[in-house]
Amino acid sequence: MIASDLVALSPLIVLSSTAVVVMLSIAIRRDHHLAALLAFLGLAAALASLRFAAAASPRRVTGLLLVDGYSLFYSAVLLLSTAAVLLLAFAYMERQQEHREEFYCLMLLAACGALVLVSSCHLVSLFLGIEILSVSLYGLIAYLRFQPLPLEAGMKYLVLAATSSAFLLFGMALLYSETGSMELSSLAKSYMGTPDPALGAVGWAGTILMLTGIGFKLAVAPFHLWTPDVYQGAPLPVTAFVATVSKGSVFALLLRWFHGADSTVSAPVYWAFVTMAIASMLIGNLLALQQENVKRLLAYSSIAHMGYLLVAFLAAGPLGIQAATYYLIAYLVTMLGVFGLMTVLSTGEEEHCELKDYRGLFWQHPVISGLFAAMLLSLAGIPLTAGFLGKFYVIAAAASSSLWLPVFVLIVSSTIGIYYYLRVIVALFSLPAEAGEREEPVRLTVPLEASFSLAALVILLFVFGLYPTPFWALIQTMSASLG
Amino acid sequence: MLNLLWLAPAFPLAGAAVLALFGSRFPRKLVSLLGVGSIGLAALVSFLVGWSFLASPPPGNAFLLPLWTWMDAGSFRADFGLYLDPVSLLMLVVVTFVGFLIHVYSTEYMRHDDGYARFFAYMNLFVASMLLLVLGNNLLVLYVGWEGVGLCSYLLIGFWYRDPANVRAANKAFLVTRIGDTAFAIGLFLLFTHLGTLDIQQLMQRAQSQWEPGSGLAIAAAALLLAGACGKSAQLPLQTWLPDAMAGPTPTSALIHAATMVTAGVYLIARTQALFRLAPPVQLAVAVIGATTLLMAACSALAQRDIKRVLAYSTISQIGYMFLALGLGAWSAAMFHFMTHAFFKALLFLAAGAVIQALHHEQDMFRMGGLRTELPVVFWSFVIGGSALAGLPLLTAGFFSKDLILWQSWAGPNGNIWFWLCGMAGALLTSLYTYRLIFLVFYGPPKAHVAARPGLAIKLPLVVLCVLSIVGGYADTPPHFGGTPALSNFLNSTLPALEEVHVGPITEVTTALCASLMFAAGFSLAFVLYYRRRVEHPSETALARFWSAGWGFDQLYDGVFVRPFIWLAAVNRNDVVDAAYAGIASAAQECSRVLRLTETGRVRWYASGLALGSAVFLAFVLLTR
Repeated sequence: MIASDLVALSPLIVLSSTAVVVMLSIAIRRDHHLAALLAFLGLAAALASLRFAAAASPRRVTGLLLVDGYSLFYSAVLLLSTAAVLLLAFAYMERQQEHREEFYCLMLLAACGALVLVSSCHLVSLFLGIEILSVSLYGLIAYLRFQPLPLEAGMKYLVLAATSSAFLLFGMALLYSETGSMELSSLAKSYMGTPDPALGAVGWAGTILMLTGIGFKLAVAPFHLWTPDVYQGAPLPVTAFVATVSKGSVFALLLRWFHGADSTVSAPVYWAFVTMAIASMLIGNLLALQQENVKRLLAYSSIAHMGYLLVAFLAAGPLGIQAATYYLIAYLVTMLGVFGLMTVLSTGEEEHCELKDYRGLFWQHPVISGLFAAMLLSLAGIPLTAGFLGKFYVIAAAASSSLWLPVFVLIVSSTIGIYYYLRVIVALFSLPAEAGEREEPVRLTVPLEASFSLAALVILLFVFGLYPTPFWALIQTMSASLG
Repeated sequence: MLNLLWLAPAFPLAGAAVLALFGSRFPRKLVSLLGVGSIGLAALVSFLVGWSFLASPPPGNAFLLPLWTWMDAGSFRADFGLYLDPVSLLMLVVVTFVGFLIHVYSTEYMRHDDGYARFFAYMNLFVASMLLLVLGNNLLVLYVGWEGVGLCSYLLIGFWYRDPANVRAANKAFLVTRIGDTAFAIGLFLLFTHLGTLDIQQLMQRAQSQWEPGSGLAIAAAALLLAGACGKSAQLPLQTWLPDAMAGPTPTSALIHAATMVTAGVYLIARTQALFRLAPPVQLAVAVIGATTLLMAACSALAQRDIKRVLAYSTISQIGYMFLALGLGAWSAAMFHFMTHAFFKALLFLAAGAVIQALHHEQDMFRMGGLRTELPVVFWSFVIGGSALAGLPLLTAGFFSKDLILWQSWAGPNGNIWFWLCGMAGALLTSLYTYRLIFLVFYGPPKAHVAARPGLAIKLPLVVLCVLSIVGGYADTPPHFGGTPALSNFLNSTLPALEEVHVGPITEVTTALCASLMFAAGFSLAFVLYYRRRVEHPSETALARFWSAGWGFDQLYDGVFVRPFIWLAAVNRNDVVDAAYAGIASAAQECSRVLRLTETGRVRWYASGLALGSAVFLAFVLLTR
């Protein structure tokens, strides 16, 4: 390991040492403000160090990690998302009667895992990344340990994630026994290409078992069942983190894995993905239709969005990568925005995430409700928002690869989706039913750091919806580095 | 100087935008200044442009001011340009100047209205749209103006929207003209698909070079444009909206429903006259429609008791004269009559507005009387405007313009004795209903108390229009009276002169004499009936009721179109087509309900779901590989 290796890994190093520093600072003195500040500075430093890492890229470090344009781009995206979550979480944690400082430690470690995932080019680093991320998430989801729901969600996630890891690990073993390689790129060659990849039954079984593990992390159908319970139970900032950073990093890994090779996916894997995509879009949107809890509703919505992403993922060539990236980022911005607004709105110790809690909110907090509506419209893919252009690129990429069936399902299921997004918007804007039903309107103070984060997200939402050109050019440069 | 042309529509448009956005916060003085000033500037621009056009005519007697390319897609290209030739210049000057006078009048007439700024915003927008219509170099720009004036007409008819009757009238006007507009739009598509351009001048050239006279396409295109013109100009069979349009404020009626917008159809036909000459049957239809409309509307005017409705029917009838002239190929006669009509009909409407305001919004002529001494300026306005309308020989503008049409209805190649007779009968009826109105309103015993006397802002436009109603006719005096047809000569570069093929036995002099005789007969009849015998109640005979109701067209359309449609809508109350979509929605809800059963909340079920899904994929891949 030489100096430039260290430079290439500097974001990871900065991030993990910050986690240690936060931990040590807790040992000396418990101070919520200090811990949060340290974590935020760590994230900022990691983000800054991306510049130096970029100078050293592309570089393969220790055979496990590949630092190139692609991984740096996604590292930046994930670090920014984590920072957004952190800013939103501070006021939320401030209200909790827990030890609050370890939250940031776990958050930093989870981000570490996500960064490992996006740079991973080897089965070992893949598994390491997923586990670092998952183990931190167990703690984060169950962080409010005196409340029943977070605890239940944490337990469920622990059991199921462990199960899925078992699938993943077993799949890796089978693949290795068949091919003798743990390199993602050489593994990809063995089931890419038509007509007949030279892969035996064991190898195929290994691939499918690995996809099961990854599908669980992405929460695509039919591996989606855990999502609503965990989303509902986890504290709001953690839900936002699960929905964005965790899924985004796994998706980035998948994208690199399958798009790194030149040829197209072979038929069995292709059909497995098509099935997952279609099932996710339909099931996600249908399940959300009559949902009364907004967190659960967003969980189902995120299942559907993963389905849309898989459609872009299936599209061949650089257009597929670009469309998937654009959509993923639009999704991250919007989901962070929605959960951020919900975090800001849930004053007091209990979260109020039932649809009826939002009824008539507009008449009390017009700005927040307006932004909420804008975010939901973006999720629904209404023009002028990031979600619309993202969906446009996805459909364009899929159509240019003649993926007519997925495109058809995408259009039908997004139409169904508009219904439940509008249901929330209608609730926001409806007149409060009876005066006596609601208690006195709560005086809402949006903390400074959260409003900063929200403002950035809203601006991005409209910039990506109205003027995508510079950003699209950036994505094109990034996708070129993937070869 | 001609390059300033774009300012003419730009000033009113800017005025409309400012007033619409901020008008409600401005003080009334400022609103008046902006609303009237913008039109005043537009009038000034049009005078300057007109003066420069006359002083040094541009080559070809036409001037094109290209502004920008509006759209350019494949073979379709539409430029946004303004085109000025004698015809559009005449329209431009009349619209801006009469419009200006009416705006001045409105400052006083509308001064107590809550929607003062809104009114001026609409009126300015109307003038801007009308100028776009008149100046547009291609049919698409013209169409924008065409729809713009339609919109403003709708907004202004329904200006006092709190009364449902006004809203109904606005809707009726909008819907009926929409029929014509749709035909017009289809005509545009037809012209574009076959001739490949919408530029009016190119279009006319290509039509003449590519289409045989009397060819099917030419007839279809001309017929569609005619339908559009009929809708806008309230000609048979789409005339029913105009009498109801009197629900709007009176200045609106003067500007839109008498002086300018309703003549848009006349302008359209004159503008595309080359096309109509290629379609002789359609051109004949124009004449027949004009002749029929002028007679029917004149009869209806005779039976009205509402002062504004008399004027409304009279407008329909006078535009009928213009259509008659167009159909006969007497293009410049139609434009001449348009000009004089704009003066005297605006005058009559504004004077009627003054009467109505003086009498606390009383519009029933049978409850008026003796206003001659109470409102002298208004009385003289009515005398001058009415005489121009009825065609008082040699003195008034209306006589010269109507006489030209009457003469050419015999002399032209399409002319015959029937058209001539229709015109003469119309002249008699016009004279009769005009003096009926004047005698009823201004003579006899006073029946209502005069509450308010008109101020300067009302009197001034009346006086100016009185002068114009007299001198306007001298723009084009017939040679046999020793005059010069200046206007016709001026228009000749655009509108070909009429070939006079029939000479005897009717001559120009006989026509003029007969027309004078008709005027005299109408006047005497009105004098006897409404001054001497002083008929105090409207006639209640079946014929009078029939005429009063506009020949039963409303009832007819109600029975043939409206009721069956409502019946059909009632039958289809639960929308057959919608049931399919509702089915999809409920199917989705049902799927959702079933799928929710999978969300049990039990970890063991979730884990087995994981395994099950994996197993299915495994089986699939291993079996199909």
